[in-house]
Amino acid sequence: MKLADNPFFVLGVTTEASRIEVEREAQKLLGMLELGFADARTYATPLGPRERTAEMVRAAVAALRDPYRRLVAELWAHHAPAPKAEPPVPEPPAPARAGLRRALGWRP
Amino acid sequence: MYALPYLVLQRLRQAAINARRKNRSWRYLAWSVLAGIANAAMFVLGTAFVVFLWSLALWWLAVPMIAILVVPVIADTLVRFVFVPGGHHRLAYYAALYSRPGTDPPAYALCVAAWAAAGGTAVAWVSAKREARRPLGDAEVAATAFLAAARGDDATARELLRSLPMLVEDHPAVRELAGEWLACDAAERAAWSELEGDAARARWPATPLTYLLEGVAARHTGAAAAPSAGELWARWALAPRHRATLALVIEALAVPRGTGVAPRPADAIGATDAAEQVASDPSPLPRAVAAHLAFEAGPVTAATLEHTVRAWDTALADATTRQWLARRALELDAPPGAVERAIHEVAGAVTDDLSRRAEAAQLGAPPGAAGPVGHGLTRRLRHGRLDALEAAFSRWADRRHDNTRHPAIDEWREFIALMTAYNAAVTAGGIELRRLAFPHAFSKGSNMAAWLWNKREEYALSHAISKWLLAEALVVGDSEAIELGHRNCALAIPTRLGRISS
Repeated sequence: MKLADNPFFVLGVTTEASRIEVEREAQKLLGMLELGFADARTYATPLGPRERTAEMVRAAVAALRDPYRRLVAELWAHHAPAPKAEPPVPEPPAPARAGLRRALGWRP
Repeated sequence: MYALPYLVLQRLRQAAINARRKNRSWRYLAWSVLAGIANAAMFVLGTAFVVFLWSLALWWLAVPMIAILVVPVIADTLVRFVFVPGGHHRLAYYAALYSRPGTDPPAYALCVAAWAAAGGTAVAWVSAKREARRPLGDAEVAATAFLAAARGDDATARELLRSLPMLVEDHPAVRELAGEWLACDAAERAAWSELEGDAARARWPATPLTYLLEGVAARHTGAAAAPSAGELWARWALAPRHRATLALVIEALAVPRGTGVAPRPADAIGATDAAEQVASDPSPLPRAVAAHLAFEAGPVTAATLEHTVRAWDTALADATTRQWLARRALELDAPPGAVERAIHEVAGAVTDDLSRRAEAAQLGAPPGAAGPVGHGLTRRLRHGRLDALEAAFSRWADRRHDNTRHPAIDEWREFIALMTAYNAAVTAGGIELRRLAFPHAFSKGSNMAAWLWNKREEYALSHAISKWLLAEALVVGDSEAIELGHRNCALAIPTRLGRISS
C-alpha cells in the first residue's frame, strides 16, 4: 500500500473515525467532486498534496468497510506524521557550470 | 650546421614532455617551461633556416623545410586553436600526424580527428579510420568516446574513457587527451572530489589544462596537496584558455588552502535528516513510518536504506506494535490471525518499496539485517541481480557459438557494460553474491577471451577480460581460476607499440 493512497488520507478522516463518519465523509466528497468543488480535488498526505478522484473515494470507503484492510490502513495512517498541505520543496541542484567544457575547447 | 642543434632541441623537448608526464609537482612546471623553450627555439631555428634558404633563392628547398622543420613545431597549437574549434577534422588529423606525438602517430591523430569531428560526414570519416585500425587499442576507444561526447552522450564518453586503463596499449598522448576531457567534464559538473581523486592517483598524464583543473579541484576539496596561490597562478599561466579559466582560479583561491568546502556526503545528509525527523517520537512504529517517508523523499543511499530497514525490523518485532494491532483488531472485529497477516503484509509492502528504490540506486541489502524486511530485501536483491547477471553473461558468450562478430569497439562496449553491471551487483550484494556470481562470469568470460584472442586477433581486448577475471578470482579465492588467469595474463600481447608483457 502506498502511504499517499491511504484511505484515511483520501477521505480526510482520522483513524478514530467511526464507520458512519467514514460513509458520511465519502458521500460528501463524492457530491463535492460531482459539483466540481476545487477543495475536493486534492487531499493532504505526509508526502504533500495529491489529486483526489471519485474512483479513489469509492475505493477508500470500500477498503475501510473491510475490518482487516482497515486494520492495515490504520497501521500506516495512525503512525504517520501529520499530513502536509504543501508539496516538499526540492533541494537546489549542485552548482554546475553549463558550457564550461565548450569554453575549454571540448564539444559539445 | 642547422640539423644538429635542431635535433638536440627536439630530443630535449620530447624528454621534457616525457618527464612532465610522470610528475605532478613543481617539476611539472619546470619541465613544461623547458619544453616550451625548446619548442620556441626549434621554431626560431627552423624559420631562420627557411628564410636563409629563401634568401639564397633556394625556395624549392625552403618549402619542404617548412614542412619538415616548422609545421611539426606549431602543429599542436594549430590543432587546439584552429582546426578543432573550426571542426576541420581532416586537417586536425594530418596536423596531429605531423606533430610527432611519439610511436604510432595515427593513434593520436585519430583521437584529434574525433575531437574535431562535427556533423555526420566527419563522424563517418573518423569511424572509417577507426575501423581500419585493428586490433582495438586505447586510441580507438578514446576516439569513440570523443564522438559520443560530441553528440551529447556524456555518460558513454565517461564510461569508455574510464575503461582505458584496462587496455595494455598505452599511447601517452591519447591518455593525456582522455584525462583532459574527463577533467573538463568534472569541472563542468563541479565534481571536484572526482577530479581530485584522479589527480591523487595520477590516473592520466596531465596536459597543462588538466594540471590547472586538478589544482582548482584540490583547493575546492581542501586536499593536503592543494597548490598555493602562486603555484595555481603559475599553472594558469601555462594552461590554454586563460579567459575561460580565470574565473575558476579566482573562485578556487577564495577557498582558504587546506580548508575546502567539500559537499556534505549524501549518506550523511539522508541519515541525519531521517534521524532528526524520527527522533521526536520514541515508539518504534512511528519512527519506522517517518524513516520510510524520509527515505522516499530524500536521496537513496546505503545509510538511509540501512536506517529505514532497521527501523522497520525493530518496529515489526516490537511488542507494543503487536499489542496495538491486537487491540485494534479486536475493536474492529477483524478475522482471527489478522495481526500476523497485517505484519506480514506490511513487511512485504515495505520490502517491495525499498527493493525497488535500492535496485534503481544500485544498493545492496544492509549487512546483518535480521528482521522480516531485512531478510526479504537481501533475498530479493540477491536473486534478482544474480539472475540478470547470469542471463547477460550467457547472451554474451552465446555469440561465440553463433560466430556472430561485432565490430571490436562494440565487443569492448559490451564487455564494459557487463563488467559495470557485475561490479554494481557485487558491490551491492557483498562477498556472498560475488562468490555466487563469479563462476558463471568466469566460465563465459574465459571462453570469450579465448575466442577474441584466437579467432578475432583482438589481443588487448582479450587480455583486458582475462586480467579482470584474474582480479575477481583473487578476490573470491578461486584457485583454479587464479591459475588459468595467471597463465592467460602471462602471454605477451602484440600491440602497435610492440609486444607487451604484463
